[in-house]
Amino acid sequence: MKGVWAVFYREVMFLKPRFLKVMLSSIIYPALFLLAFGYGLGKNARVGNLDYVVFLIPGLITMSSMNQAYGISLEVHISRYYFKIFEEYLLAPINRWEIVVGELLYGIFKGLIPAFFITLYALISGIGIRLNLVFAICLLLHLICFSLIGYVIAMLVKSHADQAAFSSFVMVPMIFLSDTFYPIEKMPALAKYIGYLFPLTYSTKLIRGALLGIDSMVTFRNFALLFTITFALFVIAIWVTQRAEVV
Amino acid sequence: MTEIEVRSLRKRFGNIEALKGVDFEVKSGEIFAFLGPNGAGKTTTINILTGLILKYEGEIFYRGEPFSPHNLKFKKLIGVVPQHNNVDRDLSVEANLKVHGYLHGIFGRRLKEAIDRVLEFTGLTNHKKRKADHLSGGMKRRLVIARALMHNPGILFLDEPTVGLDPAVRRSMWDLIRSVNSLKGCTVFLTTHYIEEAEILADTVVIIDSGRVVACGKPDELKRRVGRYALEIYYQDRIEEEFFETREEALERLKSLDVPAKIREVNLEDVFLKITGRRIEV
Ligand SMILES: Nc1ncnc2c1ncn2[C@@H]1O[C@H](COP(=O)(O)OP(=O)(O)OP(=O)(O)O)[C@@H](O)[C@H]1O
Ligand SMILES: [Mg+2]
Repeated sequence: MKGVWAVFYREVMFLKPRFLKVMLSSIIYPALFLLAFGYGLGKNARVGNLDYVVFLIPGLITMSSMNQAYGISLEVHISRYYFKIFEEYLLAPINRWEIVVGELLYGIFKGLIPAFFITLYALISGIGIRLNLVFAICLLLHLICFSLIGYVIAMLVKSHADQAAFSSFVMVPMIFLSDTFYPIEKMPALAKYIGYLFPLTYSTKLIRGALLGIDSMVTFRNFALLFTITFALFVIAIWVTQRAEVV
Repeated sequence: MTEIEVRSLRKRFGNIEALKGVDFEVKSGEIFAFLGPNGAGKTTTINILTGLILKYEGEIFYRGEPFSPHNLKFKKLIGVVPQHNNVDRDLSVEANLKVHGYLHGIFGRRLKEAIDRVLEFTGLTNHKKRKADHLSGGMKRRLVIARALMHNPGILFLDEPTVGLDPAVRRSMWDLIRSVNSLKGCTVFLTTHYIEEAEILADTVVIIDSGRVVACGKPDELKRRVGRYALEIYYQDRIEEEFFETREEALERLKSLDVPAKIREVNLEDVFLKITGRRIEV
């Protein structure tokens, strides 16, 4: 377990001088979406029997916390390929899974930053959301899932360019096709099928369901799918780390 | 006692055969130097011995026990100073050491003591709170060494410890390496392409070239094999060396020449030159 703490501590120390910047940028993005879509375009719009803003808020939480959690990708990549701090982890008398879990905790930590502020905003502005255990569990699973994607990508791709490509071809489409801003059921067929491949679809449904008290979204099927994807990612993350050599 | 024993170590990177069957032994408590030109396979060897490369052929024993890269016992035994200064630039000197301490399970008061001890040992005490990025090149190098010493390793690997440092700093680094060896009783495995460094520091030198060990022994022994005195002859288009057992023989040859020439004592460069026909330092 000491390895988990060491890795997490290092990452948090690395974040410390940038914390304000990271915090602000992680809030500005969803705030703009909220203004443009929630209060602008979607002012009088409704999704089912929900005000659009109410529908949107959980999507903003999952979208922005996903971005932050996935964002550890860049940091892991830099520490592995440029600063070579990662070598310290590989040399240390710790089990390789401890590195994965340490980075994972860091991803969760970063993801919680925007999740906290958007939730706070929703509570203050009286958008009737309810905090509960199901929300907490689903958010945690969601953050683990996207931290793992970020980590695995950082370990697998060799260059910044490949990483940017993954972002544009997978992460950005995921943001728009996963039930975050627009109900996936109303998407054109192709977009819908792609959307159902993304874990964000399931975490958004679960988290929206939990926050807004819509039981039809908090299904065992959605949870099982998200859990299975996350578990598979965890196995892959351990596997690549076990085989990681110096670069 | 034998600290590390390596038998027929081989490593390929695609088409490049970086190590072509390397054998050597490192004795407990000695300073062991791997001397060789760029691309000889020095870093590759260190990476294998420290578990940073997992796929290789050959056998490695630490204190008689077969080495396995994922066995934590071996990781506790070794400290590593990599070729590049991989300090965490945005972290303070202290935080850099803390992370290493945590990685090795050192916490609380023991951690504080370990940090103060290695800072004092490397002369960085006054820089404890500074950002690592603001240290000079020599100080960064010292920080990497301090970090590697945090957990009191039995064997310290140093990959080109003084590359890129100016002569005065290099000399102080040599003193530091010597005291790691003598005061801490730490076996030192260093690589270098500086002849002088190997001659001054090493108890045993292994000369490596293109993935092969070309010579091995105490620096004096190796030099004896070539001779005692070298005559450097400056022809118009090239410099040539000839080797002699006595100064008189060399002097005689010098007198018979009609081009400029210089007599000096044999060094390890001559050993390398004689075996490979090339020079180490470029
Ligand atoms: N990851 C790698 N992929 C491909 N080739 C590699 C890799 N690492 C090393 N090599 C090659 O293996 C050979 C030995 O390299 P190595 O880094 O061990 O040399 P070195 O003796 O440390 O040299 P230097 O003094 O330049 O540090 C070189 O030809 C190098 O190009
Ligand atoms: Mg090297």
